[in-house]
Amino acid sequence: MTNQNKAAVALGVLVTIAVVAMLLVVQSRGGDQPAPVATGSPEESMLVREDSRILGEEGSSGVTVVEFLDFECEACAAAYPAVEQLRQEYAGEVTFVARYFPLPGHFNAERAARAVESAARQGELEAMYQRMYETQAEWGEAQVPHDDLFRGFAEEIGLDMQQYDADYASDEVAARVQRDVDDGLELGVQGTPTFYVDGEPLQPRTYEDFTSAIDAALASS
Amino acid sequence: MTGDQRLGLGLAAGGGVGLVAAAVLLVERFRLADDPAYIPSCSVNPVLSCGSIMESWQAALLGFPNPVIGVAAFPVVITTGMALLSGAVLARWFWQGLQVGVLTGLALVGWLVFQSLYRIGALCPYCMVVWAVVWPIAWYVTLRNLRSGALGRWGAESPVVARAQEWHGLVTLLPYAAVMVAVLVRFWSFWTG
Repeated sequence: MTNQNKAAVALGVLVTIAVVAMLLVVQSRGGDQPAPVATGSPEESMLVREDSRILGEEGSSGVTVVEFLDFECEACAAAYPAVEQLRQEYAGEVTFVARYFPLPGHFNAERAARAVESAARQGELEAMYQRMYETQAEWGEAQVPHDDLFRGFAEEIGLDMQQYDADYASDEVAARVQRDVDDGLELGVQGTPTFYVDGEPLQPRTYEDFTSAIDAALASS
Repeated sequence: MTGDQRLGLGLAAGGGVGLVAAAVLLVERFRLADDPAYIPSCSVNPVLSCGSIMESWQAALLGFPNPVIGVAAFPVVITTGMALLSGAVLARWFWQGLQVGVLTGLALVGWLVFQSLYRIGALCPYCMVVWAVVWPIAWYVTLRNLRSGALGRWGAESPVVARAQEWHGLVTLLPYAAVMVAVLVRFWSFWTG
């Protein structure tokens, strides 16, 4: 064998081994879907914590819709109008819980989550939550920090800016967001949006998928 | 089998694989367009998130989905490969035209690799199949054209080109190794987490 061929074969073997190893990792990570969460199980408390953010009013039925969301995720923005419509349709009946799940690939997702959490601390969760999705096209997919833009949202909403600035930069708010992420990872959340209707993971393809799952949960509650 | 026939076989095989991958991508895109309620999810797993890539503007550089380019162009590569395999002798201008084509394809793929890794931050498996075939197609067509003098006498006489011919196998593999290392580094937390 010539030296040239030896070098090519050696590199070829290396590349092949590496590709196979990477495929194995992907295989082992990709398969598992989030499992249903049984009532009374330790996972149930993980799904909705004491301090989890509730959109609007708590529902009377005890049925919950939990969404692990990322404000920079286009699929979450695509689901947002449906969730808004559900919140109207089931207002007072069903509790809608928003869990932060900023993905590492999205540059401003964690910042957005901190901005929303900071607003929530001043009772303006909904306003900031809605603002993030409605403006996502302006700031999504960027590779530069958008702290100033988010701060602008806070000003427009009328937050106490001294408090906002302190919260936004605080370790406490960052840790609060991270706790949601940790719960999601522990529950097996693979991406966003991930919905749970009364503990059952739901992969909705249409609005009706949502309503039939919620109606079934309401009927059995 | 002559050198050109071997190249023909490679072109036909590479073009075939590329065509299948581009066709699959296009069908997936249609499915996505067909069902407006269909929500592709943003994935923790960067390697399995075609949805976010398909919805990006980079996925439709010319205003229509990129796989359309592949579905139109790979059959040209296959046909050229088959003609060579049957012993056809192609005019110099045909080779030069093919050269322009493969370099354009390679430039597009290079740009897509960069965008996918560093701007979109996700990988899609079928796109990577296309990357994987475009490179050797471009490389071996270029090498053949340089050696045969289709791009001018200097190519045929250049010692650098002669050396590249000797080491062609290694040159073929280097970009694969480079992209792989880039994927490892870019998504380090995924591989180790």
